[in-house]
Amino acid sequence: MAFEGEASELGIAAIGAGLAVGLTGIGAGMGEKDVGAAAVGAMTEDRSIFGTAMIFMVIPETIVIFGLVVAIIILFVL
Amino acid sequence: MSLPESMSRIVVVGTKSRMEEAIEAFYSVRVLHVIDHTSGADGMSIGTPLPTNPKASERLLKVRAMEKELGIGKDTETARVPVAEIKSQISSGTIESVEAEVLKVLDVKNDLNRRITEINIKKKSLEVLAALPVDLELYSGYKSLAVIAGSVEKDPSEALKAIADSEVFVSFKKKEGGVAAVFVRAEERDKAASILSEHGFVEIAVPEGKGPVPEVLVLTNESMADLNAKLESVSKEVEALQMKHKTFLRASDEELSIEIEKGEVPLRVAVGDHSYVMDAWVPTKKVEIVKTELESRLGNDVHVEFEETRGRNMHEEEEAEERFKKAPTKHNNGIIAQEFEHATSLVAVPKYQEIDPSVLIMLFLPLFFGFMIGDCGYAIPFIILGAYGLKVTHHKDWRAIATVLFFGGIWSFLFGFFFFGEALGMHFVGQFTGQWKPPLYMTWEGLLGVQMPEWFTGLLPHGHGVSKLEGTDVRMLLKLAVYIGLIHLMIGYVCGYLNVKRQHNNKHAFFEKGGWILSFTGMVVLCYALTQWMISGVPLDGLTLYLLVIGIVLLGIGTAVNFKTEGAKAIIELPGLLGTILSYARLAAIGMSKAGMAMAFNYIVLIKLMGITAEAGGAVEWPAIYMIIPCLLFLAFLHLVVWTLGILSGGLHALRLQFVELMTKFFVGGGTRYEPLRIKRVKTILTKTEVEKEV
Repeated sequence: MAFEGEASELGIAAIGAGLAVGLTGIGAGMGEKDVGAAAVGAMTEDRSIFGTAMIFMVIPETIVIFGLVVAIIILFVL
Repeated sequence: MSLPESMSRIVVVGTKSRMEEAIEAFYSVRVLHVIDHTSGADGMSIGTPLPTNPKASERLLKVRAMEKELGIGKDTETARVPVAEIKSQISSGTIESVEAEVLKVLDVKNDLNRRITEINIKKKSLEVLAALPVDLELYSGYKSLAVIAGSVEKDPSEALKAIADSEVFVSFKKKEGGVAAVFVRAEERDKAASILSEHGFVEIAVPEGKGPVPEVLVLTNESMADLNAKLESVSKEVEALQMKHKTFLRASDEELSIEIEKGEVPLRVAVGDHSYVMDAWVPTKKVEIVKTELESRLGNDVHVEFEETRGRNMHEEEEAEERFKKAPTKHNNGIIAQEFEHATSLVAVPKYQEIDPSVLIMLFLPLFFGFMIGDCGYAIPFIILGAYGLKVTHHKDWRAIATVLFFGGIWSFLFGFFFFGEALGMHFVGQFTGQWKPPLYMTWEGLLGVQMPEWFTGLLPHGHGVSKLEGTDVRMLLKLAVYIGLIHLMIGYVCGYLNVKRQHNNKHAFFEKGGWILSFTGMVVLCYALTQWMISGVPLDGLTLYLLVIGIVLLGIGTAVNFKTEGAKAIIELPGLLGTILSYARLAAIGMSKAGMAMAFNYIVLIKLMGITAEAGGAVEWPAIYMIIPCLLFLAFLHLVVWTLGILSGGLHALRLQFVELMTKFFVGGGTRYEPLRIKRVKTILTKTEVEKEV
């Protein structure tokens, strides 16, 4: 099947944007799963480490924001 | 940038005989952060609690026990009691008399409860035995006969026939199981028991009594009802006692706790045979006040000596004696920034020598939150909720959230009104005038059939506001987000430089933080030049070339400086710089994802469900009213979803940009919290003259 014309170009771009968000989402999820579990465990021991725990927690999540930015660039900027 | 408040160390020396009075004075000045005395230093040991303490502890224990029994907790609403009144009540032995009164009722209650439990057990046994035609007195009183009674899971009657001279009563239903009573010769008891145990037998203790079991059961039920009625009336008495004494108990709980806390102060100071010595940190501006106040109260029996004002240079801390090393951190912020101190302390308490990030958080957290939301429609509930929260709540977690919602809401309104020009995912301007058509074309002008005045459209960028979902504007928003990030990060680096400069010196600061400022600036200039050349297609000459060269040089120098202090880590962290800058793209990205959701919901409900079509310049055709109401309710629900997600994503990401991107650039933390001797009264109240005595 050949991809021709504006409509299929948009479709391919949309798939690309979807993949960008989806795959980074999975990646961030896998990263945060481990960090989150450990952070919650550590916090039950000592409530005061919330801030540090949160910093660790959100580090992998940056990747999904990058994915979102890439998706937005694909859809609106390119 | 605010540093924690300047602290001075003082020594208070006084006569031991007036120590109790001195402790009252320490608490009334409300600023003394006591440095715990370590036994053995100066040849003096720590003191012993005041002689009144054991009695107070004993009374507190009684009060707490009564509170527990009567169900009085922290949240029980009670009136405030004047301190003098509660003190005289406690000393006149009111606690003991209340205890006697409470115990009397509680004893009755406990006794009733015990009897009810006993009767319940008896009742259960009787209910089981009621199936057998054996009178209750027949179960006991034999010499050579053994009686075994209990419930069974299988019918044992066949198996029991093996025992000679036995009398067996069994009532058995297949599904529910049954009950068996076996009368055998005393020496056959074990044999019968072993047969029964094969049939899932559980023995029950047969209660004492006379007559047929069902009749006894009726009597038992009657006495049970009687006991329950009594218990109810006693419970009412307990409730009455709770109402009667709750104010007194809560107030005396508080007063005794305060008394005990005060009584334990000698454990933290050095006490000799005739005198005591207490070291304490005091905010520098309060030193004179503390001195005059203590001396005016205790006259010649106290001497306050000023020791040092702790500077911000680390040398001073390193050279100090171990227990005087760390000066406590007292935040020094205005009324608004105070509300953000909790956010700072979620990471750590700032060191005495470093900039308190609360002010920066105050400036940027609501700003980022507002930028990400950027919508008038969502802003108004945020402002209302935040203002309400600030008014009613005192818990610091909730106050911090309410503050962010309130100020974030204001920013969000400003951005939504003047920059994006939209509410609930719809632009104000467009379509009705026919000049501009937003993606999926729904606007307030078109929806309501009104035309915005010209001065209003004049306020907005492009005459209709920045669209979060259109190519050119999106590019601008992403750039804007990164520029905001650059400013934010630069502030972080500069604060880091200032911190190290203050703690050590300029040279130290240059090698520790200056290198990063250079690398950061170099990276920014380099990236700018590269994007101009490679993406925007500007030829690589003139300004672009200069910028490229300057960027590379700065990055090189910066990395070299960092390499000297940090080694290979300096090179490994370089890509991280770029990542940190791009991380700010989330400001635009989250705003857009929220606008995208809102737009999709508007499109689904307004255009697809309600079938609204509006030609440019034409009036809207609304469907019938019975369609409008459910559709709008549905739309409101959908917007509530977006709004709630806004709190989570907007709030958390704005906070993260402070914690991760900003604060890691300069904030170290690990300070000691300033905890002066002071009493916070909730249930008791001081008289006017007593309050005036406090500084």
